Amino acid sequence: MKFDAVVIGGGKAGCEAASLLLDAGLKVCLVSAGLTMDAESTDPWAAVRAIARRGAVVLRGDTAVSADLKAETVLSVHTECLEEEPLEARLFILATGKYFSRGLLADMERIYEPVFGADVDYIPGRENWYDSDFSAPQPFLGFGVKTDAQGRVLIGGKTMKNLYATGDILAKGAQAASIEAIASEYAGK
Amino acid sequence: MQESNISAGNLEQCLKCNLCTLVCPMMAVNGHYPGPKKAGPDGERYRLKDPQYYDYALKYCLNCKRCEVSCPSGVKIGDIIQSARLRYGGHNLRDWTLANTDLVGSLASPFAPLVNGVLGLRPVKTLMHSWMGVDSHRTFPAYSARKFSSWMRKQDQSRFDKFVTFFHGCYVNYNYPQLGKDLVKLVNAAGYGVHLLEKEKCCGVALMSNSMGDRARRQGEINLASMRKAIAAGEDILTVSSTCTFTMRDEYPHVLGLENADVRPHLYLLSKWLYKKMERGEVKLKFRKDLHLKIAYHTACHMQKLGWRNYTLELLRKIPGVELVEMEQQCCGISGTFGFKKENYGYSQAIGGRLFDEIGAARVALGAQSDPGFVVCTECETCKWQIEMSTGVPVMNPVSILAMALE
Repeated sequence: MKFDAVVIGGGKAGCEAASLLLDAGLKVCLVSAGLTMDAESTDPWAAVRAIARRGAVVLRGDTAVSADLKAETVLSVHTECLEEEPLEARLFILATGKYFSRGLLADMERIYEPVFGADVDYIPGRENWYDSDFSAPQPFLGFGVKTDAQGRVLIGGKTMKNLYATGDILAKGAQAASIEAIASEYAGK
Repeated sequence: MQESNISAGNLEQCLKCNLCTLVCPMMAVNGHYPGPKKAGPDGERYRLKDPQYYDYALKYCLNCKRCEVSCPSGVKIGDIIQSARLRYGGHNLRDWTLANTDLVGSLASPFAPLVNGVLGLRPVKTLMHSWMGVDSHRTFPAYSARKFSSWMRKQDQSRFDKFVTFFHGCYVNYNYPQLGKDLVKLVNAAGYGVHLLEKEKCCGVALMSNSMGDRARRQGEINLASMRKAIAAGEDILTVSSTCTFTMRDEYPHVLGLENADVRPHLYLLSKWLYKKMERGEVKLKFRKDLHLKIAYHTACHMQKLGWRNYTLELLRKIPGVELVEMEQQCCGISGTFGFKKENYGYSQAIGGRLFDEIGAARVALGAQSDPGFVVCTECETCKWQIEMSTGVPVMNPVSILAMALE
């Protein structure tokens, strides 16, 4: 399935990004693996529903699992449900959040981003991830994906041309993408 | 120290956030149901300690899987509940009759006109309501005098050099052969011949929701063995029902413990298969330009869980003259045999109420208040019975709409 932009993550950051991309007239697909709590609404699907009403294709309960890359460009993303049919687009936004929403996964050795294998900024050694003083600032909360000055995601030290990150998944101090600027850039292409 | 999650259904990933409780359609109308979190991952911890903690209120779970669709932690909440019901739940004669769709269908089919007539009689309905507990508001789908499989065996498919295998399911075989004929028409137009499975049994969904796991497992093994033969001959397996498909792809391994990893990728709903073939340019279909149809698309629960609604929507949009409204993704309330039981009828209609209102709104949005060309489209046969009974709007499977649209 072909789109102008694929947004991965149906939380606050993903929905805001999708909304701005729709404003610019782009054809958008939003992948929302599960729900996120919205304190402003009693309707748990309200945010993604609003995106769907504006004409985006919203994949509820589906999960992005892998991506096809060619050099520094993302070509497409595969999801658990759509299986062999990839989501192709010119622009990809990564907004999958941190650990709760499984945007970042941690095992005994490493912390990683599962869809693209994006570079994650963290301190090696599990003992360095947390402070045993419960109320002290916890280092793991500052870990996240690395981006360049425009908010483009790094993979293997290289800047991806059409993959941007926004929201909680960013490492502390990493630049978030300016979705408005990207939207108008891609709307002009 | 345990380094990875080893619990069934990802039980230990549950963070008690309660988002599943918020989206559960049963929870919204029935105070006796403990809700997906409590019935699923929470209750399972107790049941693992001692089966006497099994709560009979788990019978209220619709197995709609909307809890799983909403879970941010990937907990298989519905699978946990369904597995507990298979292990600890019970059934009575009414449940047995409703669940054995295959057996009851083969017995009823030869006497179809008589059975249909008798089941429709007021006194019979009253008797079934009070004696068996089948709600008198419900009408059983009429049995067909001629089974689909008998019709299919008379069809000459020898002109084709490529084939698919069609899992027709009980509804097509015993009640509504026309839907199967529509699939054959479409697949033939796409340049493929149609075979049937060497042996086909009911997918087992009704047996599973009525706690008859052993029988469901035996039927599943027969289906998988036949499917493996078809796949070895290079054929994909096509279906028309979202629930049969979901059951055989996901409930077989998750709930019945049947290994199907080799079969699963070859098991398609017609719309997924056709979308793929058309997208790759392997199939070209010509659609009529004079079909004026206003369609409200209803995402059946298991279609939602499969995540395939977009395949159907994309295909429907290819038909010129079709106006389409995508309705909100919510449960119709019937959940197969659940809504036929008299103790559930009230819950069933309360859950479906929002959808019935939405169908009315979709009709207005499409400007079709007095239009005979207004239909609801969905892949699920029991949603069809529920919506037709409750709103009077005809419901069509997308396969029938696509077949009707062929030039």
